[in-house]
Amino acid sequence: MRQFFPVEDLARDERFVQTNMAERIKDPRVPGGGSAKKKSSRSSTNKLTPDRHDASDRARGLMHGIMVGEIQALEGAGRTAHDFDAGDGSGDTIPFALKLDMARQAWDEARHVEISAKLSTWMGTELGEFQENTVLFEAACSNDPVLRLAGVNRALEGLAIDVFTQMKEFGDLAGDPFLEFCEDWMLADEVTHVKMGSDWLRKVTENDPDRRAKALEFQQVVDKLFSFGGARGDTAESSFQLARRFRELAGFTDDEVETIAGLDQQALVERKAAINAMQAAVADS
Amino acid sequence: MKLFEALGGWIATVPELDVKMRLGTHCYHHAWHAELWHKRLPELREMKPERLTQPANEAMVRFIEAMTEPEAPELTIEKLVGVYRVLIPHFIAAYTYHRNNTSEITDAPTIRSLNFILQDEFDDWRDGEMMLQSLITSPADVERAAAHQAKLESIIVEAGGIAGHGSIGPSTVVDGPQLTPEPTTPEPTTTEPTTEGDA
Repeated sequence: MRQFFPVEDLARDERFVQTNMAERIKDPRVPGGGSAKKKSSRSSTNKLTPDRHDASDRARGLMHGIMVGEIQALEGAGRTAHDFDAGDGSGDTIPFALKLDMARQAWDEARHVEISAKLSTWMGTELGEFQENTVLFEAACSNDPVLRLAGVNRALEGLAIDVFTQMKEFGDLAGDPFLEFCEDWMLADEVTHVKMGSDWLRKVTENDPDRRAKALEFQQVVDKLFSFGGARGDTAESSFQLARRFRELAGFTDDEVETIAGLDQQALVERKAAINAMQAAVADS
Repeated sequence: MKLFEALGGWIATVPELDVKMRLGTHCYHHAWHAELWHKRLPELREMKPERLTQPANEAMVRFIEAMTEPEAPELTIEKLVGVYRVLIPHFIAAYTYHRNNTSEITDAPTIRSLNFILQDEFDDWRDGEMMLQSLITSPADVERAAAHQAKLESIIVEAGGIAGHGSIGPSTVVDGPQLTPEPTTPEPTTTEPTTEGDA
Protein backbone atom coordinates (compact mmCIF):
# COMPACT_ATOMS: atom_id res chain seq x y z
CA MET A 1 0.00 0.00 0.00
CA ARG A 2 1.31 3.43 -0.95
CA GLN A 3 2.24 5.93 1.74
CA PHE A 4 0.08 8.66 0.23
CA PHE A 5 -3.20 8.02 -1.55
CA PRO A 6 -4.36 10.38 -4.34
CA VAL A 7 -7.91 11.71 -4.33
CA GLU A 8 -8.62 10.42 -7.83
CA ASP A 9 -8.17 6.84 -6.58
CA LEU A 10 -10.80 7.09 -3.82
CA ALA A 11 -12.77 3.86 -3.99
CA ARG A 12 -16.55 4.09 -4.38
CA ASP A 13 -19.25 1.66 -5.36
CA GLU A 14 -21.35 2.23 -8.49
CA ARG A 15 -24.02 4.27 -6.67
CA PHE A 16 -21.78 7.29 -6.09
CA VAL A 17 -21.44 10.14 -8.60
CA GLN A 18 -18.37 12.30 -8.15
CA THR A 19 -17.97 15.85 -9.39
CA ASN A 20 -16.11 19.05 -8.62
CA MET A 21 -17.30 21.81 -6.31
CA ALA A 22 -18.37 24.16 -9.11
CA GLU A 23 -20.73 21.57 -10.55
CA ARG A 24 -22.07 20.68 -7.13
CA ILE A 25 -22.78 24.34 -6.34
CA LYS A 26 -24.78 24.63 -9.58
CA ASP A 27 -27.29 22.13 -8.22
CA PRO A 28 -30.26 24.29 -7.15
CA ARG A 29 -31.47 21.59 -4.74
CA VAL A 30 -28.59 22.08 -2.28
CA PRO A 31 -28.20 25.01 0.17
CA GLY A 32 -26.29 27.82 -1.50
CA GLY A 33 -26.76 26.04 -4.80
CA GLY A 34 -27.89 27.68 -8.06
CA SER A 35 -26.53 31.02 -9.19
CA ALA A 36 -29.65 33.16 -8.93
CA LYS A 37 -32.31 33.63 -6.29
CA LYS A 38 -35.41 31.66 -7.20
CA LYS A 39 -38.43 33.84 -7.99
CA SER A 40 -40.73 31.37 -6.30
CA SER A 41 -38.93 31.63 -2.97
CA ARG A 42 -41.27 32.79 -0.25
CA SER A 43 -38.52 33.12 2.30
CA SER A 44 -36.96 36.45 3.23
CA THR A 45 -33.62 34.79 4.03
CA ASN A 46 -31.41 32.09 2.57
CA LYS A 47 -31.52 30.16 5.81
CA LEU A 48 -32.77 26.60 5.64
CA THR A 49 -36.10 26.58 7.49
CA PRO A 50 -39.02 24.13 7.21
CA ASP A 51 -41.37 26.80 5.82
CA ARG A 52 -39.34 27.26 2.62
CA HIS A 53 -40.99 25.83 -0.47
CA ASP A 54 -37.73 24.04 -1.29
CA ALA A 55 -36.99 22.92 2.28
CA SER A 56 -37.32 19.21 1.52
CA ASP A 57 -34.88 19.12 -1.39
CA ARG A 58 -32.43 21.41 0.34
CA ALA A 59 -32.46 19.44 3.57
CA ARG A 60 -32.06 16.16 1.68
CA GLY A 61 -29.23 17.61 -0.39
CA LEU A 62 -27.50 18.92 2.69
CA MET A 63 -27.84 15.59 4.49
CA HIS A 64 -26.43 13.74 1.48
CA GLY A 65 -23.54 16.20 1.44
CA ILE A 66 -22.97 15.55 5.14
CA MET A 67 -22.93 11.82 4.52
CA VAL A 68 -20.34 11.90 1.74
CA GLY A 69 -18.35 14.42 3.79
CA GLU A 70 -18.33 11.94 6.66
CA ILE A 71 -17.12 9.20 4.32
CA GLN A 72 -14.21 11.38 3.22
CA ALA A 73 -13.48 12.42 6.81
CA LEU A 74 -13.36 8.72 7.71
CA GLU A 75 -10.98 8.06 4.85
CA GLY A 76 -8.84 11.08 5.70
CA ALA A 77 -8.48 10.20 9.38
CA GLY A 78 -7.61 6.63 8.46
CA ARG A 79 -4.95 7.80 6.02
CA THR A 80 -3.35 10.10 8.60
CA ALA A 81 -3.21 7.19 11.05
CA HIS A 82 -1.47 5.21 8.29
CA ASP A 83 0.67 7.63 6.30
CA PHE A 84 3.07 8.92 8.95
CA ASP A 85 5.40 7.02 11.25
CA ALA A 86 5.28 7.66 14.97
CA GLY A 87 7.95 10.12 16.03
CA ASP A 88 8.54 13.53 17.53
CA GLY A 89 6.41 15.36 14.96
CA SER A 90 9.25 16.57 12.80
CA GLY A 91 9.64 15.64 9.14
CA ASP A 92 7.40 12.80 8.06
CA THR A 93 6.47 11.76 11.59
CA ILE A 94 3.62 12.49 13.96
CA PRO A 95 3.40 11.81 17.69
CA PHE A 96 2.12 8.34 18.57
CA ALA A 97 -0.76 9.89 20.53
CA LEU A 98 -1.82 11.84 17.44
CA LYS A 99 -1.98 8.59 15.47
CA LEU A 100 -4.23 7.18 18.18
CA ASP A 101 -6.45 10.27 18.00
CA MET A 102 -6.76 9.86 14.25
CA ALA A 103 -7.82 6.23 14.74
CA ARG A 104 -10.38 7.39 17.26
CA GLN A 105 -11.63 9.97 14.78
CA ALA A 106 -11.91 7.23 12.13
CA TRP A 107 -14.23 5.31 14.45
CA ASP A 108 -16.34 8.43 15.10
CA GLU A 109 -16.58 9.20 11.39
CA ALA A 110 -17.57 5.59 10.65
CA ARG A 111 -20.47 6.00 13.09
CA HIS A 112 -21.35 9.33 11.49
CA VAL A 113 -21.46 7.72 8.06
CA GLU A 114 -23.87 5.12 9.38
CA ILE A 115 -26.01 7.74 11.14
CA SER A 116 -26.06 10.02 8.08
CA ALA A 117 -26.91 7.15 5.73
CA LYS A 118 -29.85 6.17 7.94
CA LEU A 119 -30.98 9.79 8.24
CA SER A 120 -30.80 10.14 4.45
CA THR A 121 -33.01 7.08 4.06
CA TRP A 122 -35.33 8.50 6.72
CA MET A 123 -35.59 11.72 4.70
CA GLY A 124 -36.38 9.83 1.51
CA THR A 125 -33.01 10.08 -0.23
CA GLU A 126 -31.19 7.35 -2.12
CA LEU A 127 -27.43 7.12 -1.96
CA GLY A 128 -26.02 8.85 -5.05
CA GLU A 129 -29.12 10.99 -5.66
CA PHE A 130 -26.88 14.02 -5.19
CA GLN A 131 -23.34 14.40 -6.48
CA GLU A 132 -20.24 14.10 -4.33
CA ASN A 133 -17.34 16.51 -4.54
CA THR A 134 -14.09 15.29 -3.08
CA VAL A 135 -12.54 18.50 -1.82
CA LEU A 136 -12.56 17.34 1.79
CA PHE A 137 -10.34 14.37 1.00
CA GLU A 138 -8.09 16.61 -1.10
CA ALA A 139 -7.47 18.68 2.03
CA ALA A 140 -6.56 15.41 3.73
CA CYS A 141 -4.01 14.51 1.05
CA SER A 142 -1.27 16.96 2.02
CA ASN A 143 2.14 15.46 2.62
CA ASP A 144 2.46 17.67 5.71
CA PRO A 145 0.36 16.30 8.59
CA VAL A 146 0.06 19.78 10.10
CA LEU A 147 -1.70 20.99 6.95
CA ARG A 148 -4.11 18.09 7.30
CA LEU A 149 -4.87 19.17 10.86
CA ALA A 150 -5.44 22.74 9.71
CA GLY A 151 -7.43 21.91 6.58
CA VAL A 152 -9.50 18.99 7.81
CA ASN A 153 -9.78 19.17 11.60
CA ARG A 154 -9.87 22.93 11.94
CA ALA A 155 -11.45 24.21 8.70
CA LEU A 156 -13.70 21.40 7.51
CA GLU A 157 -14.66 19.87 10.82
CA GLY A 158 -15.22 23.47 11.92
CA LEU A 159 -17.62 23.83 9.01
CA ALA A 160 -19.30 20.65 10.20
CA ILE A 161 -19.94 22.35 13.54
CA ASP A 162 -21.75 25.17 11.72
CA VAL A 163 -23.72 22.81 9.47
CA PHE A 164 -24.72 20.40 12.25
CA THR A 165 -25.89 23.29 14.39
CA GLN A 166 -28.04 24.40 11.47
CA MET A 167 -29.43 20.91 10.85
CA LYS A 168 -30.12 20.38 14.53
CA GLU A 169 -32.13 23.60 14.55
CA PHE A 170 -33.91 22.55 11.36
CA GLY A 171 -34.87 19.24 12.98
CA ASP A 172 -36.21 21.07 16.01
CA LEU A 173 -38.29 23.50 13.91
CA ALA A 174 -39.55 20.70 11.67
CA GLY A 175 -40.66 18.62 14.66
CA ASP A 176 -38.25 15.82 13.75
CA PRO A 177 -36.57 14.60 16.95
CA PHE A 178 -34.63 11.88 15.08
CA LEU A 179 -32.86 14.48 12.98
CA GLU A 180 -32.44 16.88 15.89
CA PHE A 181 -30.87 14.41 18.31
CA CYS A 182 -28.71 12.62 15.74
CA GLU A 183 -27.24 15.96 14.71
CA ASP A 184 -26.67 16.88 18.33
CA TRP A 185 -24.71 13.68 18.98
CA MET A 186 -22.58 14.18 15.89
CA LEU A 187 -22.04 17.82 16.78
CA ALA A 188 -20.52 16.78 20.12
CA ASP A 189 -18.03 14.55 18.27
CA GLU A 190 -17.15 17.29 15.79
CA VAL A 191 -16.35 19.72 18.59
CA THR A 192 -13.96 17.05 19.93
CA HIS A 193 -12.34 16.59 16.51
CA VAL A 194 -11.84 20.32 16.01
CA LYS A 195 -10.38 20.66 19.49
CA MET A 196 -8.09 17.75 18.71
CA GLY A 197 -6.91 19.60 15.60
CA SER A 198 -6.46 22.87 17.50
CA ASP A 199 -4.47 21.23 20.30
CA TRP A 200 -2.23 19.14 18.05
CA LEU A 201 -1.59 21.99 15.63
CA ARG A 202 -0.33 24.15 18.48
CA LYS A 203 1.66 21.35 20.05
CA VAL A 204 3.39 20.05 16.92
CA THR A 205 4.31 23.56 15.72
CA GLU A 206 5.29 24.82 19.16
CA ASN A 207 8.86 25.46 18.11
CA ASP A 208 8.26 26.06 14.43
CA PRO A 209 6.41 29.37 13.87
CA ASP A 210 6.89 29.25 10.10
CA ARG A 211 5.22 25.87 9.87
CA ARG A 212 2.36 27.07 12.06
CA ALA A 213 1.87 30.21 9.96
CA LYS A 214 1.81 28.15 6.78
CA ALA A 215 -0.77 25.81 8.30
CA LEU A 216 -3.03 28.64 9.44
CA GLU A 217 -2.75 30.23 6.01
CA PHE A 218 -3.84 26.94 4.45
CA GLN A 219 -6.74 26.78 6.90
CA GLN A 220 -7.91 30.21 5.78
CA VAL A 221 -7.83 29.13 2.13
CA VAL A 222 -10.01 26.12 2.99
CA ASP A 223 -12.25 28.20 5.25
CA LYS A 224 -12.90 30.69 2.47
CA LEU A 225 -13.45 27.96 -0.11
CA PHE A 226 -15.97 26.27 2.17
CA SER A 227 -17.76 29.49 2.95
CA PHE A 228 -19.55 28.65 -0.33
CA GLY A 229 -19.38 32.21 -1.55
CA GLY A 230 -20.48 33.61 1.79
CA ALA A 231 -23.33 31.16 2.28
CA ARG A 232 -21.97 30.81 5.80
CA GLY A 233 -21.90 33.97 7.88
CA ASP A 234 -23.56 36.13 10.46
CA THR A 235 -26.00 37.99 8.18
CA ALA A 236 -29.62 37.36 7.22
CA GLU A 237 -28.37 36.49 3.74
CA SER A 238 -26.39 33.56 5.12
CA SER A 239 -27.67 30.04 4.50
CA PHE A 240 -26.11 28.94 7.76
CA GLN A 241 -24.56 30.70 10.72
CA LEU A 242 -21.10 30.60 12.18
CA ALA A 243 -21.57 28.58 15.39
CA ARG A 244 -19.47 30.83 17.58
CA ARG A 245 -20.09 29.15 20.94
CA PHE A 246 -19.28 25.64 19.72
CA ARG A 247 -16.19 26.92 17.92
CA GLU A 248 -15.03 28.47 21.17
CA LEU A 249 -15.49 25.08 22.88
CA ALA A 250 -13.45 23.55 20.07
CA GLY A 251 -10.43 25.70 20.84
CA PHE A 252 -10.89 28.65 18.49
CA THR A 253 -9.87 32.00 19.93
CA ASP A 254 -12.15 35.02 19.51
CA ASP A 255 -9.70 36.46 16.97
CA GLU A 256 -9.76 33.24 14.96
CA VAL A 257 -13.56 33.24 14.85
CA GLU A 258 -13.53 36.88 13.73
CA THR A 259 -11.05 36.02 10.99
CA ILE A 260 -13.40 33.31 9.69
CA ALA A 261 -16.36 35.71 9.86
CA GLY A 262 -14.29 38.20 7.83
CA LEU A 263 -13.46 35.56 5.24
CA ASP A 264 -17.14 34.64 4.96
CA GLN A 265 -18.06 38.28 4.41
CA GLN A 266 -15.29 38.69 1.84
CA ALA A 267 -16.49 35.59 -0.01
CA LEU A 268 -20.04 36.96 -0.05
CA VAL A 269 -18.91 40.30 -1.50
CA GLU A 270 -16.86 38.52 -4.16
CA ARG A 271 -19.78 36.27 -5.11
CA LYS A 272 -22.14 39.25 -5.44
CA ALA A 273 -19.60 41.06 -7.61
CA ALA A 274 -19.24 37.99 -9.81
CA ILE A 275 -23.02 37.70 -10.21
CA ASN A 276 -23.33 41.41 -11.05
CA ALA A 277 -20.57 41.13 -13.63
CA MET A 278 -22.27 38.10 -15.15
CA GLN A 279 -25.63 39.85 -15.32
CA ALA A 280 -24.03 42.94 -16.88
CA ALA A 281 -22.36 40.78 -19.48
CA VAL A 282 -25.72 39.16 -20.33
CA ALA A 283 -27.42 42.58 -20.57
CA ASP A 284 -24.70 43.87 -22.90
CA SER A 285 -24.92 40.94 -25.25
CA MET B 1 0.22 -0.88 15.70
CA LYS B 2 0.86 -2.13 12.18
CA LEU B 3 -2.65 -3.51 12.11
CA PHE B 4 -4.43 -0.27 12.99
CA GLU B 5 -2.24 1.61 10.51
CA ALA B 6 -3.13 -0.85 7.75
CA LEU B 7 -6.85 -0.78 8.52
CA GLY B 8 -6.80 3.03 8.53
CA GLY B 9 -4.95 3.15 5.23
CA TRP B 10 -7.30 0.68 3.56
CA ILE B 11 -10.48 2.62 4.31
CA ALA B 12 -10.01 4.85 1.26
CA THR B 13 -9.16 1.87 -0.96
CA VAL B 14 -12.27 -0.30 -0.49
CA PRO B 15 -15.41 0.56 -2.47
CA GLU B 16 -17.84 -1.39 -0.29
CA LEU B 17 -19.43 1.13 2.09
CA ASP B 18 -20.16 -1.39 4.86
CA VAL B 19 -16.55 -2.62 4.80
CA LYS B 20 -15.29 0.97 4.81
CA MET B 21 -17.23 1.73 7.98
CA ARG B 22 -16.21 -1.47 9.75
CA LEU B 23 -12.52 -0.89 8.98
CA GLY B 24 -12.83 2.53 10.61
CA THR B 25 -14.29 0.97 13.75
CA HIS B 26 -11.71 -1.81 13.92
CA CYS B 27 -8.89 0.66 13.24
CA TYR B 28 -9.72 2.32 16.54
CA HIS B 29 -10.04 -0.98 18.41
CA HIS B 30 -6.49 -1.95 17.47
CA ALA B 31 -5.17 1.56 18.12
CA TRP B 32 -6.58 1.27 21.63
CA HIS B 33 -4.85 -2.10 22.05
CA ALA B 34 -1.58 -0.47 20.99
CA GLU B 35 -2.22 2.27 23.54
CA LEU B 36 -2.77 -0.29 26.31
CA TRP B 37 0.52 -2.06 25.49
CA HIS B 38 2.32 1.24 25.08
CA LYS B 39 1.42 1.95 28.70
CA ARG B 40 1.84 -1.56 30.09
CA LEU B 41 5.04 -2.82 28.48
CA PRO B 42 7.42 -0.29 30.06
CA GLU B 43 6.02 -1.32 33.45
CA LEU B 44 7.39 -4.82 32.95
CA ARG B 45 10.93 -4.37 34.11
CA GLU B 46 12.29 -7.44 32.39
CA MET B 47 11.39 -5.97 29.01
CA LYS B 48 14.10 -4.18 27.06
CA PRO B 49 12.59 -0.90 25.80
CA GLU B 50 14.31 -1.13 22.43
CA ARG B 51 12.51 -4.41 21.80
CA LEU B 52 9.04 -3.10 22.56
CA THR B 53 8.18 -1.99 19.05
CA GLN B 54 10.43 -4.29 17.07
CA PRO B 55 9.11 -7.12 14.90
CA ALA B 56 9.89 -10.58 16.22
CA ASN B 57 11.99 -11.53 13.21
CA GLU B 58 12.55 -10.97 9.50
CA ALA B 59 9.73 -13.32 8.51
CA MET B 60 7.27 -11.21 10.52
CA VAL B 61 8.43 -8.14 8.59
CA ARG B 62 7.74 -10.02 5.36
CA PHE B 63 4.35 -11.07 6.66
CA ILE B 64 3.28 -7.49 7.37
CA GLU B 65 4.54 -6.40 3.96
CA ALA B 66 2.62 -9.19 2.24
CA MET B 67 -0.53 -8.59 4.27
CA THR B 68 -0.58 -4.84 3.55
CA GLU B 69 0.42 -5.17 -0.12
CA PRO B 70 -3.11 -5.33 -1.67
CA GLU B 71 -4.33 -1.82 -2.48
CA ALA B 72 -6.49 -1.96 -5.62
CA PRO B 73 -10.25 -1.56 -5.08
CA GLU B 74 -11.02 -5.03 -6.43
CA LEU B 75 -8.82 -6.69 -3.77
CA THR B 76 -11.11 -6.33 -0.75
CA ILE B 77 -11.20 -10.11 -0.26
CA GLU B 78 -7.41 -10.27 -0.05
CA LYS B 79 -7.30 -7.37 2.42
CA LEU B 80 -9.89 -8.96 4.68
CA VAL B 81 -8.44 -12.48 4.44
CA GLY B 82 -5.05 -11.24 5.61
CA VAL B 83 -6.51 -9.58 8.67
CA TYR B 84 -9.46 -11.75 9.64
CA ARG B 85 -8.40 -15.22 8.56
CA VAL B 86 -4.69 -15.02 9.30
CA LEU B 87 -3.48 -12.23 11.57
CA ILE B 88 -6.35 -11.95 14.05
CA PRO B 89 -6.61 -15.73 14.64
CA HIS B 90 -2.87 -15.68 15.42
CA PHE B 91 -3.40 -12.71 17.75
CA ILE B 92 -6.13 -14.60 19.56
CA ALA B 93 -3.97 -17.68 19.94
CA ALA B 94 -0.97 -15.75 21.24
CA TYR B 95 -2.99 -13.59 23.60
CA THR B 96 -4.89 -16.58 24.93
CA TYR B 97 -1.70 -18.56 25.49
CA HIS B 98 -0.13 -15.65 27.34
CA ARG B 99 -3.23 -15.03 29.45
CA ASN B 100 -3.42 -18.68 30.43
CA ASN B 101 0.23 -18.92 31.38
CA THR B 102 1.05 -15.72 33.18
CA SER B 103 0.59 -15.08 36.87
CA GLU B 104 -2.91 -14.05 37.88
CA ILE B 105 -1.46 -12.11 40.79
CA THR B 106 1.75 -10.45 39.73
CA ASP B 107 0.68 -9.94 36.09
CA ALA B 108 -2.96 -9.07 36.76
CA PRO B 109 -2.79 -5.71 34.91
CA THR B 110 -1.66 -7.54 31.76
CA ILE B 111 -4.43 -10.11 32.12
CA ARG B 112 -7.03 -7.37 32.52
CA SER B 113 -5.87 -5.73 29.29
CA LEU B 114 -5.72 -9.10 27.54
CA ASN B 115 -9.32 -9.82 28.48
CA PHE B 116 -10.54 -6.50 27.07
CA ILE B 117 -8.45 -6.98 23.95
CA LEU B 118 -9.52 -10.57 23.41
CA GLN B 119 -13.17 -9.54 23.58
CA ASP B 120 -12.51 -6.98 20.81
CA GLU B 121 -10.57 -9.54 18.79
CA PHE B 122 -13.41 -12.07 18.92
CA ASP B 123 -15.97 -9.41 17.96
CA ASP B 124 -13.83 -8.09 15.12
CA TRP B 125 -13.01 -11.58 13.91
CA ARG B 126 -16.74 -12.32 13.67
CA ASP B 127 -17.39 -9.02 11.80
CA GLY B 128 -14.55 -9.77 9.42
CA GLU B 129 -15.76 -13.27 8.71
CA MET B 130 -19.27 -11.97 8.02
CA MET B 131 -17.89 -9.38 5.59
CA LEU B 132 -15.83 -12.05 3.86
CA GLN B 133 -18.78 -14.39 3.55
CA SER B 134 -20.78 -11.58 1.93
CA LEU B 135 -18.01 -11.06 -0.63
CA ILE B 136 -17.06 -14.66 -1.36
CA THR B 137 -19.87 -15.78 -3.62
CA SER B 138 -18.33 -18.09 -6.22
CA PRO B 139 -15.85 -20.97 -6.45
CA ALA B 140 -13.35 -18.54 -7.99
CA ASP B 141 -13.69 -16.27 -4.95
CA VAL B 142 -13.17 -19.26 -2.67
CA GLU B 143 -9.95 -20.12 -4.49
CA ARG B 144 -8.74 -16.51 -4.32
CA ALA B 145 -9.37 -16.31 -0.60
CA ALA B 146 -7.82 -19.70 0.11
CA ALA B 147 -4.74 -19.02 -2.02
CA HIS B 148 -4.08 -15.71 -0.32
CA GLN B 149 -4.66 -17.22 3.10
CA ALA B 150 -2.22 -20.05 2.36
CA LYS B 151 0.40 -17.61 1.13
CA LEU B 152 0.19 -15.47 4.27
CA GLU B 153 -0.19 -18.41 6.64
CA SER B 154 3.06 -19.90 5.32
CA ILE B 155 4.93 -16.72 6.15
CA ILE B 156 3.49 -16.32 9.62
CA VAL B 157 4.21 -19.96 10.41
CA GLU B 158 7.79 -19.34 9.32
CA ALA B 159 7.80 -16.36 11.71
CA GLY B 160 6.59 -18.58 14.52
CA GLY B 161 3.45 -16.51 15.08
CA ILE B 162 3.05 -12.82 15.85
CA ALA B 163 5.65 -12.77 18.61
CA GLY B 164 8.05 -15.30 17.14
CA HIS B 165 8.66 -18.94 17.92
CA GLY B 166 7.13 -19.97 21.22
CA SER B 167 4.26 -17.46 20.90
CA ILE B 168 1.84 -20.21 21.75
CA GLY B 169 4.21 -22.46 23.63
CA PRO B 170 6.91 -24.83 22.51
CA SER B 171 6.53 -26.44 19.11
CA THR B 172 5.09 -29.93 19.07
CA VAL B 173 7.19 -30.79 16.02
CA VAL B 174 10.23 -32.80 17.12
CA ASP B 175 12.69 -34.34 14.64
CA GLY B 176 10.43 -34.33 11.65
CA PRO B 177 6.76 -34.07 10.82
CA GLN B 178 5.43 -35.39 14.09
CA LEU B 179 2.13 -33.65 14.67
CA THR B 180 0.90 -35.40 17.81
CA PRO B 181 2.57 -34.30 21.02
CA GLU B 182 4.09 -36.93 23.24
CA PRO B 183 1.86 -37.74 26.18
CA THR B 184 3.13 -35.95 29.22
CA THR B 185 2.75 -36.63 32.86
CA PRO B 186 0.57 -33.98 34.51
CA GLU B 187 2.37 -31.59 36.79
CA PRO B 188 1.60 -32.20 40.44
CA THR B 189 -1.01 -29.81 41.71
CA THR B 190 0.16 -26.97 43.89
CA THR B 191 -3.16 -26.41 45.58
CA GLU B 192 -3.10 -29.25 48.02
CA PRO B 193 -4.99 -28.35 51.15
CA THR B 194 -2.90 -27.70 54.17
CA THR B 195 -3.69 -29.19 57.48
CA GLU B 196 -3.38 -25.85 59.19
CA GLY B 197 -6.48 -23.75 59.05
CA ASP B 198 -8.68 -26.52 57.66
CA ALA B 199 -11.83 -26.82 59.60
